[in-house]
Formats: sequence, C-alpha cells, structure tokens
Amino acid sequence: MSSALLTALSDLEEAAVLDEVKRRLAAGESSGGILEDCRDGMIHVGKRFENDEYFISDLMMAGHIFKQATALLDSGKTGEAREPVGVIVMGTVKGDVHNIGKDLVVGLLRAANFAVSDLGIDVPPESFVETVKETGATVVGLSGLLTTSFDPMRDTVAALAAAGLRDKVKVMIGGGPVTGQVCKYAGADGWAANAQSAVTMANAWT
Amino acid sequence: MNSQELYAQRMSLIDKALALEPVERIPALYMGIALAPKQMGVTMAQYCSDPDLALAVTLDYVDKLETLDGINMHPSAHMTIGLTAIWFSRILTPGKELAEDALWQVQEEEVMKPDEYRVLIEDGYEAFQQLIFPRVIDLDFLAAGQKYLVEHGNGIFRSIEERGYVPLCCGNTTIPFEMLCGARSMQEFFLDLYRRPDEVEAAMDVMVPDLIGLGVGTAQLLGVPRVWLGGWRSASAMVAPKLWDRFVWPYYEKIANGLIEAGVMPVFHWDQDWTRDLARLRELPAKKCALNPDGMTDVRKAKEMLGDHMAIVGDVPSSIFAVGTPEDVREYVRALVSDVGPTGLILCPGCDAPINTKPENMEAFAAACVEFGRGA
Repeated sequence: MSSALLTALSDLEEAAVLDEVKRRLAAGESSGGILEDCRDGMIHVGKRFENDEYFISDLMMAGHIFKQATALLDSGKTGEAREPVGVIVMGTVKGDVHNIGKDLVVGLLRAANFAVSDLGIDVPPESFVETVKETGATVVGLSGLLTTSFDPMRDTVAALAAAGLRDKVKVMIGGGPVTGQVCKYAGADGWAANAQSAVTMANAWT
Repeated sequence: MNSQELYAQRMSLIDKALALEPVERIPALYMGIALAPKQMGVTMAQYCSDPDLALAVTLDYVDKLETLDGINMHPSAHMTIGLTAIWFSRILTPGKELAEDALWQVQEEEVMKPDEYRVLIEDGYEAFQQLIFPRVIDLDFLAAGQKYLVEHGNGIFRSIEERGYVPLCCGNTTIPFEMLCGARSMQEFFLDLYRRPDEVEAAMDVMVPDLIGLGVGTAQLLGVPRVWLGGWRSASAMVAPKLWDRFVWPYYEKIANGLIEAGVMPVFHWDQDWTRDLARLRELPAKKCALNPDGMTDVRKAKEMLGDHMAIVGDVPSSIFAVGTPEDVREYVRALVSDVGPTGLILCPGCDAPINTKPENMEAFAAACVEFGRGA
C-alpha cells in the first residue's frame, strides 16, 4: 500500500491524489494495484464519516477525486483489479427526478468495488425488474427525495416479487424523508440514513 | 367570537409562545402547501397558476380542520416563482413540464458557470439576477408574478387574518449558500467550497445586504413582521464543520441580525439535521428568532439547548403524515408536547405535511393539538 496515496485521498487532497496516480503510472505500476490503493483510501474516508469526522460534503469531494483517479487509471489500464464484490441495481424511483443522493451512493458503491447498474432518475418498476434479470444483481437500491416516492418504492418491490425475483434480491431504500416506517411500508429489506450506511449495508448483504 | 376577535386571541397566544411566556394552551399551525389543493379537488397546475385560488383552497381546507390557529407559510404570489427566486434553479411545473396534478420539482442542473462568481463580485447581486433568471424562468411569467405580488400580496395576508388565522411567516429569504448551491448544482457547488473558497466567500459577502433587504422588504410589503429564513443543503449533516463555520453560520448570523435590527423576526425553517450546530443559535438575541425544524434535527436537544432562548415550531415529520396512522400522529404530538412544551412550542408539521398526507392523519394532527395542547 502507498501511504502517500491513501493519506492524500483520506485528506481530500485532490491535486496530490492525481499527481500520485500519474507518478505511479509513469513509474510502470499496474493500474489495478493503484486502483486498490485508491479504494483503501475511500474506505478510510468512509470510516471518518462514520466517526462524525467527515460529512456529506466530504463524501462528495472524495467521490469526485476517486472518479478522476479511476479515469486516469482507465486511460492507461494495465494489470487486473479484484473481481467486483457484488452487483447492484440503483435508481431514483418513478415520478422523482432527484439524483444527488443516488449519485453519491453509486459513486461510493463503485469505490467499494461493487458493479453498479445506474438506471438514473424517474425509473419505472419494470426497468428495475429487467435490469435485475439481465445483470443477476443481488441488491437493488431505490432512491427518492419526495414523500410521493414511497408508493413507487412499494410498487417496485411488488414488481420484483411478481417477477419471482424477491427472494433473489435484497432491497434497500434511501432519501431525505425515508425512515424505518417507510421501509416497512415499501416492503424493503433495509433503509439507509446516509450514503455511507448504504455501502455498509451492501457489504453486509454480499 | 367573530373572526377578528379570533385572530386577536390567536395572535396573542402565538406572541406569548414566541416570547417564551406561559400560554393557556399550545398554539398549532397548518403547513401543507400542496396538501390543501389536493384535498379540495384542485390540481397542482391550477394551484401554481392562480394565487387567488391557491389562497381560497388553503383557507377552506384549514377551516375544515377547525382547530388550528394559523398558517406557518403561504405563498404570496405564484408558488413556483418564489421557489425560483431562492433556488436560482428551473422549477419543473405541473401543467407545463409535468402532468397537471404532479408535484412541482426543482431541476438539478448547473445553470451558473464557475467564472460567473465574478459577476456577483464585480457587478453585484442585481446584475447576477439578470444573468441567471433568463436561464431558469420565463421572464414574462416572472414579471407577471412580481406584479401580482406588489398589487395583491398584502391582500393575501390580510385575507388570512380576516378569516381568523395568524400567518406565522410571510415571504422568504435564505443565505447565499443555498442560492449559489441551486445555481451551480449541489455537486459543483460543494466542490467549489474546496477548490475556490475565497471566490465563493467574496460572492457570498456581496449578497448579504440584498438578502436582508429581500426579507425586510417582503415583511413590509406583506405586513407580517416575521420572515421564513430557509436552509436545506447548508444543514450541519451535509457540510463539514470547517466549511459550515465559514460559509454557513456567519451568513445566518448577519442576515438574522439584519432582519432583527429592522424589526423582523427570522423563523429558521431548517430542513435536514442541524443538531451538531444548534448551540450557535444562542449567539443571536434571545426571543427574537424562532426555530422551525422538520423532524430530522433532534428537537429534544434543541429544547435543551435553546429552550430559554427561542421558540420551537414543529416538527411532526412528513413521513408520518404520508405513511403513518392517526395513532402514530397522536403519539408523536403527545410526546412532543410532553418533552418540548408547554412554553416556547408551536405545534406544526415539520417542513410541511406532504401532498400524499392521508387526510385522516392531518385530522388527527389537528385533534391531537387540541387534546394535548390545552391546559398547558
């Protein structure tokens, strides 16, 4: 592990992370190995969030740095990264066009080495069903900022059941007004109070 | 008791609650912008395009609930124009971009480029508005809304009072953070805080007098000396402390003090979780502000820290109205009165009772406010 890369990412030092990634690529290191170090840095960021040392703004900045680092690594890809730890389908449910929370969770899940199918916003239940069938995902994440998203969340869970997929996937929900009561209403398996807890939940389920 | 006498009695009660004085019963407010038209058979498109109708259905719905003392906030003109003005974002509108009866939604997009902080810094807030508004709203619609506000806004609030209800807040203002976050998009703006903090801070500083002026001017125009001072993405749960201490709190402090000096009470309408930083509110003058959390802030911690400093308005969560039962609502109000009352409390939905509130839950709220609020 490169302590310089881990420390820079953990401290949200954007320029230092990107410089270090470039330096190591130029030195001939495999992109797969560097990517793993970036992921370890993101794990540190997540821990700092769980310890109330970091907040949403820090997660957004960390996710943005990680995205730039992976873009650099993709452009000079060598070596193999680990296999994804799981496959997840994510989207903001039908009738809701808010993407910020969903995008943050997608970024953190990818940093945690999940393969994520991001269906975007205003996603109808049938699209979640089809994508689970196509990808073999074992986790579905439903996002919504409006209280009017509660019924589409419930409809999506029902559609997964009607398609015979309910016992093959775990469903998590999240978004501003989501609570345990909403989780029960929607028939989901869990709810995430914030983006980092969504990652923790996904890790526990895979 | 006629409606004038009722208004006077209710206003006196709310004044006592805001001053942290003993009350004969705990006052209770309606808050449910989209709920009233939904329950009165008016589409969201009609509600957004016709402010007279918006007022009529709101008052009729509050009448049906029978026991509430006032309305936390009602739009002073066209609903979506007010949102555009404080978000600097395009509002997807029912009957236009959305179905007739869909709820309006803020479109998240980068309408302001990073080099346009310079416009604020060098040319001022008015020039900045002229730059951004054409990108987010039809200017003829904006002009019509402003004309309505000037000609009829005061009448809206007199109508509320003439029906016997107290309008807690009129108009709205916020801190520069929220407006710039809307204009830049949340992702880009949060990155700006790390990448170009000095420029963001300079732009924010320029906006402060205008945002004080917005609140004071609205209060004077509409004849209600209390203004909604909003916050949503600048919440403690969203922003790292070192950023919050630089880009959030100093601006709330300046704007709140500016309003107070002009005789206007800021009502901190704070969505999301602000628990971490509640103590900062003690830096403002006592009994000159109110806190209106939405159920995510720890309201018991707020009472503990601010109970001798400012009234709390709230905070029955929107999710309970949408998916809970009448008994859930009743129990929430009971516990709220027990833990946060009886002085310095005004019962109210947190943020607002949403469009998909079960009607029986709003009725349960009104009934619980009477049951637990009396004999305070």
